[in-house]
Amino acid sequence: MAQFAAAIPQVTRAQVRRRREWLIDLVLLAPGLGYLLVFMCVPLVQVALRGFGLLAIGEPSQFTLGLYREVLANKIDRDSIIFSLYFALGTTVISLILSLVISALLQIKFPGRYIISVLYKIPLVVPSLVAAFLVLTIIDQGGIISRALLPYGVEWPELVHDRYGLGIILVLVWHNVPIMTVILSAVMSGIPHDVTAAARNLGASPWQVFRNITVPLSLPGISAASLLVFIGVFGAFSIPSLLGAAYPKAIAVVMSNEVLDRANWGLASALGTIVTALSAILLYVYYRLIRHQEAALR
Amino acid sequence: MNRTWAMGGTPGRWLLAVGFFGVASLVLIIPLIVGVLWSLVNPDVGWFPPAIVPSSLSLANWRAMLSVPEIGQAFVMSFLIAPIVTLLCAALALPTGYALGRRQLRARRTIELLVLAPIILPGIVLATGLGSMFIRLGLSHTVTGVVLVQTVVLLPFMIRIVAATFEGVPQDLIDAARNLGASPWPLARDVLIPLVRPGLFAGGLFTFIGSLEEFVLTFIVGMPYVQTLPVLLWAYLGGRSSIFTYAAVVTMVLLVPTIVLMFVAERTLKQEYLAAGFGKV
Repeated sequence: MAQFAAAIPQVTRAQVRRRREWLIDLVLLAPGLGYLLVFMCVPLVQVALRGFGLLAIGEPSQFTLGLYREVLANKIDRDSIIFSLYFALGTTVISLILSLVISALLQIKFPGRYIISVLYKIPLVVPSLVAAFLVLTIIDQGGIISRALLPYGVEWPELVHDRYGLGIILVLVWHNVPIMTVILSAVMSGIPHDVTAAARNLGASPWQVFRNITVPLSLPGISAASLLVFIGVFGAFSIPSLLGAAYPKAIAVVMSNEVLDRANWGLASALGTIVTALSAILLYVYYRLIRHQEAALR
Repeated sequence: MNRTWAMGGTPGRWLLAVGFFGVASLVLIIPLIVGVLWSLVNPDVGWFPPAIVPSSLSLANWRAMLSVPEIGQAFVMSFLIAPIVTLLCAALALPTGYALGRRQLRARRTIELLVLAPIILPGIVLATGLGSMFIRLGLSHTVTGVVLVQTVVLLPFMIRIVAATFEGVPQDLIDAARNLGASPWPLARDVLIPLVRPGLFAGGLFTFIGSLEEFVLTFIVGMPYVQTLPVLLWAYLGGRSSIFTYAAVVTMVLLVPTIVLMFVAERTLKQEYLAAGFGKV
Protein backbone atom coordinates (compact mmCIF):
# COMPACT_ATOMS: atom_id res chain seq x y z
CA MET A 1 0.00 0.00 0.00
CA ALA A 2 2.78 2.38 0.91
CA GLN A 3 4.37 1.74 -2.45
CA PHE A 4 1.16 2.69 -4.14
CA ALA A 5 0.88 5.95 -2.27
CA ALA A 6 4.46 6.78 -3.14
CA ALA A 7 3.89 5.85 -6.75
CA ILE A 8 1.13 8.41 -7.26
CA PRO A 9 2.24 11.53 -5.46
CA GLN A 10 0.64 14.06 -7.78
CA VAL A 11 -2.78 15.43 -7.00
CA THR A 12 -5.34 14.18 -9.50
CA ARG A 13 -7.54 16.48 -11.50
CA ALA A 14 -10.61 15.10 -9.77
CA GLN A 15 -9.20 16.11 -6.43
CA VAL A 16 -8.48 19.65 -7.57
CA ARG A 17 -11.92 19.86 -8.97
CA ARG A 18 -13.48 18.55 -5.78
CA ARG A 19 -11.55 21.03 -3.69
CA ARG A 20 -12.65 23.84 -5.99
CA GLU A 21 -16.29 22.81 -5.73
CA TRP A 22 -15.96 22.65 -1.98
CA LEU A 23 -14.52 26.16 -1.95
CA ILE A 24 -17.41 27.45 -4.07
CA ASP A 25 -19.89 25.83 -1.65
CA LEU A 26 -18.15 27.52 1.25
CA VAL A 27 -18.17 30.95 -0.39
CA LEU A 28 -21.85 30.63 -1.28
CA LEU A 29 -22.88 29.40 2.16
CA ALA A 30 -20.75 31.93 4.01
CA PRO A 31 -23.13 34.95 4.06
CA GLY A 32 -26.22 33.17 5.39
CA LEU A 33 -24.64 30.53 7.58
CA GLY A 34 -21.90 32.88 8.77
CA TYR A 35 -24.52 35.33 9.94
CA LEU A 36 -26.40 32.62 11.82
CA LEU A 37 -23.19 31.29 13.36
CA VAL A 38 -22.21 34.72 14.67
CA PHE A 39 -25.62 35.98 15.75
CA MET A 40 -27.34 32.75 16.76
CA CYS A 41 -24.82 30.09 17.72
CA VAL A 42 -22.45 32.42 19.62
CA PRO A 43 -25.21 33.94 21.79
CA LEU A 44 -26.70 30.49 22.42
CA VAL A 45 -23.33 29.14 23.55
CA GLN A 46 -22.99 32.19 25.78
CA VAL A 47 -26.42 31.49 27.29
CA ALA A 48 -25.46 27.88 27.94
CA LEU A 49 -22.15 28.85 29.57
CA ARG A 50 -23.68 31.68 31.58
CA GLY A 51 -26.22 29.25 33.00
CA PHE A 52 -23.26 27.53 34.65
CA GLY A 53 -21.84 30.78 36.03
CA LEU A 54 -19.23 31.27 33.31
CA LEU A 55 -18.95 34.48 31.24
CA ALA A 56 -20.88 36.22 34.00
CA ILE A 57 -21.67 39.90 33.64
CA GLY A 58 -20.71 42.14 36.55
CA GLU A 59 -19.58 39.36 38.89
CA PRO A 60 -16.66 36.94 39.05
CA SER A 61 -17.22 33.98 36.76
CA GLN A 62 -16.57 30.45 37.87
CA PHE A 63 -18.19 27.14 37.14
CA THR A 64 -21.14 26.53 39.41
CA LEU A 65 -24.41 24.65 39.45
CA GLY A 66 -25.78 27.25 41.84
CA LEU A 67 -28.06 28.92 39.32
CA TYR A 68 -29.84 25.64 38.53
CA ARG A 69 -30.10 24.88 42.24
CA GLU A 70 -31.62 28.34 42.65
CA VAL A 71 -34.18 27.61 39.90
CA LEU A 72 -35.12 24.30 41.48
CA ALA A 73 -35.34 25.77 44.98
CA ASN A 74 -37.39 28.80 43.95
CA LYS A 75 -41.12 28.11 43.87
CA ILE A 76 -41.77 31.01 41.44
CA ASP A 77 -39.34 29.60 38.87
CA ARG A 78 -40.56 26.04 39.30
CA ASP A 79 -44.18 27.08 38.99
CA SER A 80 -43.39 29.11 35.88
CA ILE A 81 -41.98 26.01 34.17
CA ILE A 82 -45.00 23.93 35.18
CA PHE A 83 -47.41 26.70 34.13
CA SER A 84 -45.72 27.04 30.71
CA LEU A 85 -45.85 23.27 30.19
CA TYR A 86 -49.53 23.32 31.20
CA PHE A 87 -50.70 25.98 28.77
CA ALA A 88 -48.45 24.69 25.99
CA LEU A 89 -49.97 21.22 26.33
CA GLY A 90 -53.51 22.61 26.59
CA THR A 91 -53.05 24.81 23.52
CA THR A 92 -51.54 21.97 21.49
CA VAL A 93 -54.29 19.46 22.33
CA ILE A 94 -57.18 21.88 21.73
CA SER A 95 -55.63 23.25 18.51
CA LEU A 96 -54.96 19.73 17.24
CA ILE A 97 -58.56 18.59 17.77
CA LEU A 98 -59.97 21.72 16.12
CA SER A 99 -57.61 21.67 13.15
CA LEU A 100 -58.14 17.93 12.54
CA VAL A 101 -61.87 18.58 12.23
CA ILE A 102 -61.38 21.72 10.11
CA SER A 103 -58.86 20.07 7.76
CA ALA A 104 -61.04 17.01 7.27
CA LEU A 105 -64.08 19.17 6.50
CA LEU A 106 -62.03 21.35 4.13
CA GLN A 107 -61.41 18.27 1.97
CA ILE A 108 -65.12 18.26 1.10
CA LYS A 109 -66.30 20.50 -1.72
CA PHE A 110 -68.81 23.08 -0.58
CA PRO A 111 -69.94 26.49 -1.84
CA GLY A 112 -67.49 29.22 -0.82
CA ARG A 113 -64.69 26.83 0.06
CA TYR A 114 -62.12 29.05 -1.63
CA ILE A 115 -63.12 32.06 0.47
CA ILE A 116 -62.91 29.99 3.66
CA SER A 117 -59.51 28.63 2.69
CA VAL A 118 -58.24 32.22 2.39
CA LEU A 119 -60.09 33.52 5.47
CA TYR A 120 -58.83 30.92 7.90
CA LYS A 121 -55.24 31.93 7.15
CA ILE A 122 -55.74 35.48 8.42
CA PRO A 123 -54.45 34.71 11.96
CA LEU A 124 -51.19 33.49 10.37
CA VAL A 125 -50.19 37.03 9.51
CA VAL A 126 -51.74 38.67 12.57
CA PRO A 127 -49.05 39.62 15.10
CA SER A 128 -49.61 37.88 18.44
CA LEU A 129 -50.06 41.22 20.24
CA VAL A 130 -52.81 42.17 17.80
CA ALA A 131 -54.37 38.73 18.29
CA ALA A 132 -54.33 39.35 22.03
CA PHE A 133 -56.05 42.71 21.56
CA LEU A 134 -58.70 41.35 19.18
CA VAL A 135 -59.59 38.41 21.39
CA LEU A 136 -59.48 40.68 24.45
CA THR A 137 -62.20 42.93 23.00
CA ILE A 138 -64.40 39.82 22.67
CA ILE A 139 -63.81 37.75 25.81
CA ASP A 140 -62.85 40.32 28.44
CA GLN A 141 -65.34 41.20 31.19
CA GLY A 142 -66.21 44.39 29.33
CA GLY A 143 -66.00 42.59 25.99
CA ILE A 144 -68.65 41.98 23.38
CA ILE A 145 -69.80 38.59 24.69
CA SER A 146 -70.35 39.84 28.22
CA ARG A 147 -72.18 42.90 26.84
CA ALA A 148 -74.38 40.71 24.65
CA LEU A 149 -75.21 38.43 27.59
CA LEU A 150 -75.93 41.25 30.03
CA PRO A 151 -79.62 41.71 29.12
CA TYR A 152 -80.23 38.02 29.86
CA GLY A 153 -78.70 38.30 33.30
CA VAL A 154 -75.88 35.88 32.48
CA GLU A 155 -72.66 36.58 34.32
CA TRP A 156 -69.62 36.17 32.03
CA PRO A 157 -66.68 34.53 33.84
CA GLU A 158 -63.30 36.24 34.18
CA LEU A 159 -61.17 34.74 31.41
CA VAL A 160 -58.31 37.21 31.33
CA HIS A 161 -55.65 37.43 34.04
CA ASP A 162 -57.17 34.31 35.57
CA ARG A 163 -55.31 31.65 37.54
CA TYR A 164 -55.88 28.94 34.98
CA GLY A 165 -54.58 30.93 32.01
CA LEU A 166 -57.79 30.37 30.04
CA GLY A 167 -57.43 33.69 28.21
CA ILE A 168 -53.85 32.80 27.27
CA ILE A 169 -54.91 29.40 25.93
CA LEU A 170 -57.82 30.93 24.00
CA VAL A 171 -55.63 33.48 22.18
CA LEU A 172 -52.89 30.93 21.54
CA VAL A 173 -55.43 28.49 20.09
CA TRP A 174 -56.83 31.26 17.87
CA HIS A 175 -53.33 31.94 16.64
CA ASN A 176 -52.16 28.33 16.19
CA VAL A 177 -55.17 26.55 14.66
CA PRO A 178 -54.41 28.04 11.18
CA ILE A 179 -50.75 26.94 11.34
CA MET A 180 -51.83 23.38 12.15
CA THR A 181 -54.63 23.48 9.58
CA VAL A 182 -52.20 24.53 6.80
CA ILE A 183 -49.96 21.55 7.58
CA LEU A 184 -52.75 19.02 8.20
CA SER A 185 -54.84 19.88 5.15
CA ALA A 186 -51.73 19.64 2.97
CA VAL A 187 -51.13 16.14 4.35
CA MET A 188 -54.79 15.14 4.08
CA SER A 189 -55.11 16.29 0.47
CA GLY A 190 -52.24 13.91 -0.28
CA ILE A 191 -54.21 10.89 0.92
CA PRO A 192 -55.35 9.01 -2.22
CA HIS A 193 -59.05 9.38 -2.79
CA ASP A 194 -59.31 5.68 -3.68
CA VAL A 195 -58.51 4.64 -0.12
CA THR A 196 -61.33 6.60 1.50
CA ALA A 197 -63.73 5.72 -1.32
CA ALA A 198 -62.93 2.02 -0.91
CA ALA A 199 -63.58 2.23 2.83
CA ARG A 200 -66.90 3.96 2.19
CA ASN A 201 -67.89 1.30 -0.35
CA LEU A 202 -67.08 -1.39 2.19
CA GLY A 203 -69.59 0.19 4.53
CA ALA A 204 -67.49 2.39 6.82
CA SER A 205 -69.25 5.41 8.30
CA PRO A 206 -67.74 8.89 7.79
CA TRP A 207 -66.55 8.82 11.42
CA GLN A 208 -64.89 5.42 10.93
CA VAL A 209 -63.12 6.68 7.80
CA PHE A 210 -61.88 9.72 9.73
CA ARG A 211 -60.86 7.69 12.78
CA ASN A 212 -59.28 4.69 11.02
CA ILE A 213 -57.95 6.12 7.75
CA THR A 214 -57.61 9.90 7.64
CA VAL A 215 -56.03 10.32 11.09
CA PRO A 216 -53.53 7.43 10.88
CA LEU A 217 -52.43 8.45 7.38
CA SER A 218 -51.95 12.07 8.50
CA LEU A 219 -49.80 11.02 11.47
CA PRO A 220 -46.51 12.53 10.16
CA GLY A 221 -48.27 15.87 9.70
CA ILE A 222 -49.97 15.59 13.07
CA SER A 223 -46.73 15.00 14.94
CA ALA A 224 -44.90 17.75 13.03
CA ALA A 225 -47.65 20.30 13.61
CA SER A 226 -48.07 19.41 17.30
CA LEU A 227 -44.38 19.68 17.95
CA LEU A 228 -44.08 22.99 16.12
CA VAL A 229 -46.97 24.46 18.09
CA PHE A 230 -45.89 23.03 21.45
CA ILE A 231 -42.34 24.39 21.26
CA GLY A 232 -43.52 27.76 19.96
CA VAL A 233 -46.11 28.13 22.69
CA PHE A 234 -43.87 26.87 25.50
CA GLY A 235 -41.52 29.82 24.98
CA ALA A 236 -44.25 32.34 24.13
CA PHE A 237 -43.77 35.74 25.70
CA SER A 238 -46.10 38.45 24.46
CA ILE A 239 -49.49 36.79 24.97
CA PRO A 240 -48.78 35.39 28.48
CA SER A 241 -47.24 38.71 29.52
CA LEU A 242 -50.40 40.60 28.50
CA LEU A 243 -53.14 38.16 29.49
CA GLY A 244 -51.52 36.21 32.31
CA ALA A 245 -52.24 36.54 36.02
CA ALA A 246 -49.71 37.97 38.47
CA TYR A 247 -49.08 34.36 39.56
CA PRO A 248 -48.10 31.94 38.14
CA LYS A 249 -46.14 33.59 35.34
CA ALA A 250 -45.00 31.96 32.09
CA ILE A 251 -41.31 31.01 31.95
CA ALA A 252 -40.64 33.57 29.18
CA VAL A 253 -42.16 36.32 31.33
CA VAL A 254 -39.99 35.33 34.30
CA MET A 255 -36.93 35.41 32.01
CA SER A 256 -37.72 38.87 30.67
CA ASN A 257 -38.30 40.17 34.22
CA GLU A 258 -34.91 38.81 35.30
CA VAL A 259 -33.24 40.50 32.33
CA LEU A 260 -35.06 43.85 32.21
CA ASP A 261 -35.87 44.51 35.87
CA ARG A 262 -32.96 42.90 37.69
CA ALA A 263 -30.31 42.54 34.96
CA ASN A 264 -29.86 39.00 36.30
CA TRP A 265 -28.53 37.52 33.06
CA GLY A 266 -27.24 34.42 34.84
CA LEU A 267 -30.60 33.19 36.10
CA ALA A 268 -32.31 34.10 32.81
CA SER A 269 -29.65 32.07 31.00
CA ALA A 270 -30.22 29.06 33.25
CA LEU A 271 -33.96 29.22 32.52
CA GLY A 272 -33.24 29.74 28.82
CA THR A 273 -31.03 26.67 28.79
CA ILE A 274 -33.83 24.63 30.33
CA VAL A 275 -36.27 25.85 27.64
CA THR A 276 -33.75 25.12 24.86
CA ALA A 277 -32.87 21.69 26.22
CA LEU A 278 -36.53 20.72 26.44
CA SER A 279 -37.15 21.88 22.87
CA ALA A 280 -34.10 20.00 21.66
CA ILE A 281 -35.18 16.78 23.39
CA LEU A 282 -38.64 17.04 21.82
CA LEU A 283 -37.11 17.63 18.38
CA TYR A 284 -34.85 14.60 18.79
CA VAL A 285 -37.76 12.39 19.83
CA TYR A 286 -39.68 13.72 16.84
CA TYR A 287 -36.89 12.86 14.38
CA ARG A 288 -36.70 9.35 15.84
CA LEU A 289 -40.46 8.93 15.50
CA ILE A 290 -40.42 10.17 11.90
CA ARG A 291 -37.66 7.76 10.98
CA HIS A 292 -39.61 4.83 12.44
CA GLN A 293 -42.75 5.89 10.62
CA GLU A 294 -40.92 6.30 7.32
CA ALA A 295 -39.35 2.89 7.78
CA ALA A 296 -42.74 1.36 8.54
CA LEU A 297 -44.31 2.89 5.46
CA ARG A 298 -41.58 1.58 3.19
CA MET B 1 -61.15 16.83 -5.49
CA ASN B 2 -64.58 15.54 -4.98
CA ARG B 3 -64.93 13.90 -1.63
CA THR B 4 -68.42 12.91 -0.85
CA TRP B 5 -67.63 10.48 1.92
CA ALA B 6 -68.63 12.67 4.82
CA MET B 7 -71.75 14.44 3.68
CA GLY B 8 -73.51 13.39 0.55
CA GLY B 9 -75.90 15.54 -1.41
CA THR B 10 -76.32 19.25 -1.89
CA PRO B 11 -78.10 20.13 1.40
CA GLY B 12 -75.19 18.74 3.39
CA ARG B 13 -72.74 20.94 1.51
CA TRP B 14 -74.80 24.05 2.03
CA LEU B 15 -75.03 23.19 5.71
CA LEU B 16 -71.26 22.84 5.83
CA ALA B 17 -70.82 26.19 4.08
CA VAL B 18 -73.18 27.88 6.52
CA GLY B 19 -71.35 26.31 9.45
CA PHE B 20 -67.93 27.40 8.19
CA PHE B 21 -69.04 30.96 7.45
CA GLY B 22 -70.80 31.18 10.81
CA VAL B 23 -67.69 30.13 12.72
CA ALA B 24 -65.45 32.33 10.56
CA SER B 25 -67.55 35.41 11.18
CA LEU B 26 -67.68 34.66 14.91
CA VAL B 27 -63.95 34.20 15.44
CA LEU B 28 -62.48 36.28 12.58
CA ILE B 29 -64.87 38.92 11.27
CA ILE B 30 -66.50 40.10 14.50
CA PRO B 31 -63.17 40.66 16.32
CA LEU B 32 -61.94 42.67 13.33
CA ILE B 33 -65.10 44.80 13.29
CA VAL B 34 -64.90 45.37 17.04
CA GLY B 35 -61.25 46.36 16.62
CA VAL B 36 -62.18 48.90 13.95
CA LEU B 37 -64.98 50.25 16.16
CA TRP B 38 -62.57 50.71 19.09
CA SER B 39 -60.30 52.80 16.87
CA LEU B 40 -63.27 55.02 15.97
CA VAL B 41 -64.68 55.53 19.48
CA ASN B 42 -65.26 59.17 20.36
CA PRO B 43 -62.89 59.76 23.30
CA ASP B 44 -65.24 62.36 24.83
CA VAL B 45 -68.13 59.90 25.02
CA GLY B 46 -66.31 56.58 25.40
CA TRP B 47 -67.72 53.08 24.89
CA PHE B 48 -68.94 51.52 28.10
CA PRO B 49 -71.01 48.42 28.78
CA PRO B 50 -73.72 47.53 28.09
CA ALA B 51 -73.52 49.31 24.72
CA ILE B 52 -72.90 46.76 21.95
CA VAL B 53 -71.94 49.52 19.51
CA PRO B 54 -70.36 52.83 20.50
CA SER B 55 -72.90 55.64 20.68
CA SER B 56 -70.66 58.18 19.01
CA LEU B 57 -67.90 57.72 16.46
CA SER B 58 -65.04 60.07 15.58
CA LEU B 59 -61.65 60.13 13.95
CA ALA B 60 -60.03 61.69 17.01
CA ASN B 61 -57.94 58.59 17.76
CA TRP B 62 -56.64 58.52 14.22
CA ARG B 63 -55.71 62.18 14.47
CA ALA B 64 -53.64 61.12 17.49
CA MET B 65 -51.31 59.44 14.96
CA LEU B 66 -50.24 62.93 13.98
CA SER B 67 -50.63 64.68 17.32
CA VAL B 68 -49.25 62.02 19.72
CA PRO B 69 -45.55 61.95 18.82
CA GLU B 70 -44.91 58.39 20.07
CA ILE B 71 -47.39 56.83 17.63
CA GLY B 72 -45.99 58.72 14.65
CA GLN B 73 -42.42 57.95 15.70
CA ALA B 74 -43.16 54.24 16.16
CA PHE B 75 -44.76 54.21 12.71
CA VAL B 76 -41.69 55.78 11.10
CA MET B 77 -39.38 53.47 13.08
CA SER B 78 -41.25 50.30 12.00
CA PHE B 79 -41.34 51.28 8.35
CA LEU B 80 -37.68 52.33 8.45
CA ILE B 81 -36.47 49.05 9.95
CA ALA B 82 -38.58 46.69 7.81
CA PRO B 83 -37.07 47.56 4.37
CA ILE B 84 -33.52 47.49 5.74
CA VAL B 85 -34.09 44.04 7.29
CA THR B 86 -35.67 42.83 4.04
CA LEU B 87 -32.74 43.98 1.91
CA LEU B 88 -30.19 42.56 4.33
CA CYS B 89 -31.98 39.19 4.40
CA ALA B 90 -32.24 39.10 0.60
CA ALA B 91 -28.55 39.85 0.17
CA LEU B 92 -27.52 37.20 2.69
CA ALA B 93 -30.02 34.58 1.52
CA LEU B 94 -29.39 34.69 -2.25
CA PRO B 95 -26.01 32.93 -2.34
CA THR B 96 -26.82 30.62 0.56
CA GLY B 97 -30.23 29.77 -0.90
CA TYR B 98 -28.57 28.97 -4.23
CA ALA B 99 -26.11 26.62 -2.55
CA LEU B 100 -28.90 24.88 -0.60
CA GLY B 101 -31.22 24.65 -3.59
CA ARG B 102 -28.88 23.62 -6.38
CA ARG B 103 -25.58 22.28 -5.14
CA GLN B 104 -24.61 18.90 -3.76
CA LEU B 105 -23.63 19.74 -0.23
CA ARG B 106 -21.89 17.69 2.38
CA ALA B 107 -23.46 17.94 5.82
CA ARG B 108 -26.69 19.14 4.22
CA ARG B 109 -28.75 17.89 7.16
CA THR B 110 -26.69 19.86 9.67
CA ILE B 111 -26.93 23.00 7.55
CA GLU B 112 -30.70 22.63 7.22
CA LEU B 113 -31.02 22.14 10.96
CA LEU B 114 -28.95 25.28 11.56
CA VAL B 115 -31.25 27.25 9.26
CA LEU B 116 -34.32 25.81 10.93
CA ALA B 117 -33.14 26.52 14.48
CA PRO B 118 -34.10 30.23 14.74
CA ILE B 119 -37.62 29.38 13.54
CA ILE B 120 -38.11 26.74 16.21
CA LEU B 121 -36.17 28.25 19.12
CA PRO B 122 -38.22 30.42 21.46
CA GLY B 123 -37.52 34.08 20.76
CA ILE B 124 -36.95 34.85 24.42
CA VAL B 125 -33.92 32.51 24.54
CA LEU B 126 -32.34 34.19 21.52
CA ALA B 127 -33.22 37.56 23.03
CA THR B 128 -31.43 36.70 26.28
CA GLY B 129 -28.29 35.69 24.42
CA LEU B 130 -28.30 38.54 21.92
CA GLY B 131 -29.27 41.10 24.56
CA SER B 132 -26.19 40.45 26.68
CA MET B 133 -23.95 40.12 23.61
CA PHE B 134 -25.18 43.45 22.21
CA ILE B 135 -24.63 45.25 25.51
CA ARG B 136 -20.95 44.29 25.25
CA LEU B 137 -20.82 45.33 21.59
CA GLY B 138 -22.58 48.62 22.36
CA LEU B 139 -25.40 47.69 19.98
CA SER B 140 -28.31 47.47 22.42
CA HIS B 141 -30.88 50.28 22.31
CA THR B 142 -29.78 51.12 18.75
CA VAL B 143 -31.58 50.79 15.42
CA THR B 144 -28.59 48.83 14.08
CA GLY B 145 -28.94 46.35 16.92
CA VAL B 146 -32.66 45.87 16.27
CA VAL B 147 -32.03 45.39 12.53
CA LEU B 148 -29.41 42.74 13.33
CA VAL B 149 -31.59 40.78 15.79
CA GLN B 150 -34.64 40.86 13.52
CA THR B 151 -32.45 39.51 10.71
CA VAL B 152 -31.55 36.49 12.87
CA VAL B 153 -35.17 35.30 13.08
CA LEU B 154 -36.26 36.36 9.58
CA LEU B 155 -33.23 35.20 7.56
CA PRO B 156 -34.20 31.48 7.86
CA PHE B 157 -37.58 32.11 6.17
CA MET B 158 -35.83 33.95 3.33
CA ILE B 159 -33.20 31.23 2.91
CA ARG B 160 -35.81 28.45 2.85
CA ILE B 161 -38.04 30.22 0.35
CA VAL B 162 -35.13 31.21 -1.94
CA ALA B 163 -33.68 27.68 -1.74
CA ALA B 164 -37.06 26.16 -2.66
CA THR B 165 -37.27 28.53 -5.65
CA PHE B 166 -33.75 27.76 -6.89
CA GLU B 167 -34.55 24.07 -6.57
CA GLY B 168 -37.47 24.56 -8.97
CA VAL B 169 -35.41 26.17 -11.76
CA PRO B 170 -35.09 23.65 -14.63
CA GLN B 171 -31.50 22.55 -15.20
CA ASP B 172 -32.11 22.76 -18.99
CA LEU B 173 -32.28 26.55 -18.88
CA ILE B 174 -28.98 26.80 -17.03
CA ASP B 175 -27.31 24.29 -19.36
CA ALA B 176 -28.65 26.13 -22.41
CA ALA B 177 -27.29 29.45 -21.15
CA ARG B 178 -23.93 27.82 -20.41
CA ASN B 179 -23.80 26.21 -23.86
CA LEU B 180 -24.48 29.58 -25.41
CA GLY B 181 -21.40 30.85 -23.63
CA ALA B 182 -22.74 32.61 -20.54
CA SER B 183 -20.09 32.97 -17.82
CA PRO B 184 -21.13 32.68 -14.15
CA TRP B 185 -21.89 36.36 -13.49
CA PRO B 186 -24.09 37.05 -16.57
CA LEU B 187 -25.69 33.65 -15.95
CA ALA B 188 -26.66 34.73 -12.45
CA ARG B 189 -27.78 38.20 -13.51
CA ASP B 190 -29.68 37.43 -16.71
CA VAL B 191 -30.97 33.90 -16.15
CA LEU B 192 -31.04 32.82 -12.52
CA ILE B 193 -32.16 35.99 -10.76
CA PRO B 194 -35.06 36.70 -13.15
CA LEU B 195 -36.17 33.07 -12.75
CA VAL B 196 -36.18 33.24 -8.96
CA ARG B 197 -37.75 36.69 -8.79
CA PRO B 198 -41.18 35.30 -7.69
CA GLY B 199 -39.54 33.45 -4.81
CA LEU B 200 -37.48 36.48 -3.89
CA PHE B 201 -40.67 38.55 -3.92
CA ALA B 202 -42.43 36.02 -1.68
CA GLY B 203 -39.49 35.91 0.71
CA GLY B 204 -39.28 39.68 0.77
CA LEU B 205 -42.98 39.91 1.57
CA PHE B 206 -42.60 37.46 4.44
CA THR B 207 -39.57 39.26 5.79
CA PHE B 208 -41.18 42.68 5.54
CA ILE B 209 -44.31 41.54 7.40
CA GLY B 210 -42.21 39.60 9.88
CA SER B 211 -40.13 42.67 10.63
CA LEU B 212 -43.23 44.82 11.17
CA GLU B 213 -44.57 42.21 13.59
CA GLU B 214 -41.43 41.15 15.43
CA PHE B 215 -41.76 41.89 19.13
CA VAL B 216 -39.73 39.88 21.67
CA LEU B 217 -36.23 40.55 20.31
CA THR B 218 -36.98 44.17 19.47
CA PHE B 219 -38.42 44.60 22.95
CA ILE B 220 -35.45 43.12 24.83
CA VAL B 221 -32.69 44.59 22.66
CA GLY B 222 -34.29 47.90 21.65
CA MET B 223 -35.95 48.92 24.94
CA PRO B 224 -36.59 51.72 25.67
CA TYR B 225 -35.12 53.82 22.86
CA VAL B 226 -36.15 51.88 19.77
CA GLN B 227 -39.94 51.76 19.88
CA THR B 228 -41.61 49.97 16.97
CA LEU B 229 -45.39 49.61 16.57
CA PRO B 230 -45.63 46.22 18.37
CA VAL B 231 -43.59 47.56 21.31
CA LEU B 232 -45.95 50.53 21.54
CA LEU B 233 -48.97 48.22 21.32
CA TRP B 234 -47.60 46.18 24.21
CA ALA B 235 -47.23 49.36 26.25
CA TYR B 236 -50.80 50.44 25.47
CA LEU B 237 -52.29 47.03 26.29
CA GLY B 238 -50.44 46.03 29.40
CA GLY B 239 -47.43 48.01 30.46
CA ARG B 240 -49.06 51.17 31.78
CA SER B 241 -52.83 51.50 31.91
CA SER B 242 -54.49 49.88 28.94
CA ILE B 243 -55.53 52.48 26.38
CA PHE B 244 -57.86 50.49 24.16
CA THR B 245 -58.55 53.28 21.69
CA TYR B 246 -54.89 53.97 20.87
CA ALA B 247 -54.20 50.22 20.91
CA ALA B 248 -56.93 49.81 18.29
CA VAL B 249 -55.34 52.47 16.06
CA VAL B 250 -51.91 50.81 16.28
CA THR B 251 -53.58 47.43 15.66
CA MET B 252 -55.20 48.69 12.47
CA VAL B 253 -51.95 50.26 11.26
CA LEU B 254 -50.25 46.88 11.76
CA LEU B 255 -53.10 44.81 10.38
CA VAL B 256 -54.04 46.55 7.15
CA PRO B 257 -50.71 46.14 5.35
CA THR B 258 -50.32 42.53 6.49
CA ILE B 259 -53.82 41.48 5.41
CA VAL B 260 -53.51 43.30 2.06
CA LEU B 261 -50.12 41.70 1.48
CA MET B 262 -51.54 38.31 2.40
CA PHE B 263 -54.30 38.57 -0.18
CA VAL B 264 -51.71 39.63 -2.78
CA ALA B 265 -49.60 36.67 -1.74
CA GLU B 266 -52.54 34.27 -1.91
CA ARG B 267 -53.36 35.40 -5.46
CA THR B 268 -49.89 35.67 -6.94
CA LEU B 269 -47.69 33.26 -5.06
CA LYS B 270 -47.45 29.57 -5.37
CA GLN B 271 -48.44 27.58 -2.32
CA GLU B 272 -45.05 25.91 -2.14
CA TYR B 273 -43.31 29.16 -1.21
CA LEU B 274 -45.71 29.53 1.69
CA ALA B 275 -45.10 25.95 2.73
CA ALA B 276 -41.34 26.53 2.61
CA GLY B 277 -41.74 29.64 4.70
CA PHE B 278 -43.96 28.17 7.37
CA GLY B 279 -41.52 25.34 7.67
CA LYS B 280 -42.60 21.75 7.51
CA VAL B 281 -40.27 20.58 10.23
